[in-house]
Amino acid sequence: MRLERRTEGSADPLAVRRERVCATFALLFALLLVAAALNLCLGSLHVPLSDLMTVLLGRDRSSTYYQVIWSIRLPRLVAAGLLGGSLALAGLLLQTFFNNPIAGPYILGISSGAKLVVAATMIVVVGGSGILSSWMLVLAAFVGSMLAMAFVLAVSQRIRSASMLIVAGVMVGYICSALTDFLITFASDAHIVNLRNWSQGSFSGISWADVATIAVVIAPAAAFAFALSKPMAAYQLGERYAQSVGVNVRAFRVALIALSSLLAACVTAFAGPISFVGIAVPHIVKRLLGTSRPLVVVPASFLGGAIFCLACDLIARTALAPTEVSISAVTALFGAPVVIAILLGRQRRVD
Amino acid sequence: MQPMLRTEALSVGYGASPLLAGIDLAVAPGQIVTLIGPNGAGKSTLLRTVAGELAPLGGVAYLSGRRLEQLSDRERALELSVLLTERLRTDLMTCEDVVETGRLPHTGRLGILSPDDHEHVRMAMELVGVWGYRANDFMQLSDGQRQRVLLARAICQEPRLLVLDEPTSYLDIRYQIELLCVLRRLVTTREMGILMSLHELPLARRISDWVVCVKDGGITMQGSPEHVFVPEVIDALYDLEPGVYDATTGSVELPPDVR
Repeated sequence: MRLERRTEGSADPLAVRRERVCATFALLFALLLVAAALNLCLGSLHVPLSDLMTVLLGRDRSSTYYQVIWSIRLPRLVAAGLLGGSLALAGLLLQTFFNNPIAGPYILGISSGAKLVVAATMIVVVGGSGILSSWMLVLAAFVGSMLAMAFVLAVSQRIRSASMLIVAGVMVGYICSALTDFLITFASDAHIVNLRNWSQGSFSGISWADVATIAVVIAPAAAFAFALSKPMAAYQLGERYAQSVGVNVRAFRVALIALSSLLAACVTAFAGPISFVGIAVPHIVKRLLGTSRPLVVVPASFLGGAIFCLACDLIARTALAPTEVSISAVTALFGAPVVIAILLGRQRRVD
Repeated sequence: MQPMLRTEALSVGYGASPLLAGIDLAVAPGQIVTLIGPNGAGKSTLLRTVAGELAPLGGVAYLSGRRLEQLSDRERALELSVLLTERLRTDLMTCEDVVETGRLPHTGRLGILSPDDHEHVRMAMELVGVWGYRANDFMQLSDGQRQRVLLARAICQEPRLLVLDEPTSYLDIRYQIELLCVLRRLVTTREMGILMSLHELPLARRISDWVVCVKDGGITMQGSPEHVFVPEVIDALYDLEPGVYDATTGSVELPPDVR
C-alpha cells in the first residue's frame, strides 16, 4: 500500500499547526477562567457571579462573601491550580524519562512514598514539639518521593519491560500506603486532626502562607522544566539519538528525576496523593495540540493540569455537600479511563 | 587533506576488558569506509565509541584533528551525526518533526528552528525523497521510509562525518540500493566522510572506497574493495568453507555437497 501524501494542495502544514496550537491555548485559558469562576462562586455559600467582581476588587471587605472568597476559596483555588499543573508536569517528565505514556508520580508509587515520610514526620514532630512548618513538610515529602523513586529506578535497571515497571510502582504505592495507614492508626493523637483526610488527598484547609510556599517551590521548578524543552525534544527519539545531537544524557536524566520528584513531593506535602492527573492530562493535551513538541506541551500540560484539578476539586466539594469527597476519588474517576484509552490505542497500533 | 576521523591504537568495549584493541583507521572527506565482519565482532561497539557514546578504553580518536573526548557534546554533534538500527516508537511526531531534531545542535536555548534551519530540513528531506511525507505521522511509514526519514535527520545535522550502524537492516533490495545511492551522492556533493557497518557483502563491495575487516579483537585486514573482496580474505573473516564465496559475483554459493 502506498501512503497518500498529505501535503498536496496549498495549505502549509506549519501554518496549520501553528493555528491549532494557538486555538488550543485559547481554549485552555478560557476553560481555566470558567473553572476558576465556578470554584469561587459555587459551594455551601453561593456567591452570585455579579457580586464576584466586587468581592475580588475588595470594595466591601466586611461582607461574608469577602471572607469566604478571600480566606477560603481563593487560596484553595490558587493552590489547586498550581498543584494540578505540577502533577501534570511531573507526569510528563516521568513519561519522558521512562519512555512510557502511563508513567506518572502516583502510579509509580512516588506520591505514596512522599505520603509515608510526611505522615511519619508529622507524627514524630507534632507529637514532640508540636511545630511543623510547611517547609519541613515539603522537605519530608521530597525525601519520601526520592526514596520511592530510587526503588523504582533500581527495579527499572533489572527489568526492561515497561508494564512490569508500572506493576512494581503500583506495589511500592501499596506498601507505602499500608505503612501510612498503620502509622495513622497507632498515632491516633488529638494533634493529628487532618492526617486521615490529608492521606486520602484533599485541597481543603490551604492557607495563603501555604500558597506562598507552594509558589516559591513550583515556579522555579516549572520554569526549569520549560527550559528542558530542547533536550526533551531530542529525547523523543530515544537516548542514543539525543546523545548524538549534543544532549548530556546523564545530566538530563538526573534533572528529570529531581524535578519530577520535587513537583510530586510539593503536591503530596500540601494535598496528599492525587491520582492519574499526571497521566491523563499530558495525554489529552497532546491530542488537543496535535503534536508532542515539548516546547508547547510543557506549558499546555501545566495549564491543563490546573484546569483538571480545579474541575475535580469543584466536584469533590459540591457533589455530596456538605461532605467532601477525596480529590483522588474524583481524579481517578476521570483519569483512569484515559489510561485504559491509552492502552487500547497502543494495542491497536501494535495490531 | 585532514581526515574527518582518525584513530590511533584505539581500544573499545564495555567495562574493563576491551572488545577490540589496536584500531588504526581513517576516514577522509569524500570517502565511504565500511566495516565488515561476523556478528558480535565489535563493529557496533567501535561505531558507538567513535560517536562518543562510549568512552575509549585506550588509544585516541581524532575528529577533524581534535581529540574526541575534548569536544563538548554540542561540538561533537556539529561534527558527527548517526543513523542507528534500533526501531523507534514515536508519539504524535510527523516526519518533519523527526527530521527537525537533527537541527537541535544549531539552535539556541529553547531549540526553536530559524527559517534557515527549516530550509536545511527541507533540503535534506528532498535529497532522500521524503519531503512529500513531511506531514505524515512517523509511525505510519514503512520501515524503509522511516529509515530514509532518519537519514534525512542525520543529513540536516550537517555533519562532517556520518556514522551508520547497519543502515540497510529491515530494507528490501530496492531501498537498500536507493539508500546507498544517496550516500554516494552525499560524499561526492558535500565535503563529508561516511563510516558504516554493513552485512551485505555485495553492497559493501560496490559502495565502499575502503573496507575494514573486524574480527577476533581487532582489525584483521583493511584495504580497497578489490583487495578485501577476494575468497581467501572473506573465507577467513567469516570462517567459510573454501569455494563458498564467489569473488566474481561477490555473492555466496552453497557448499558443493549441498548443491
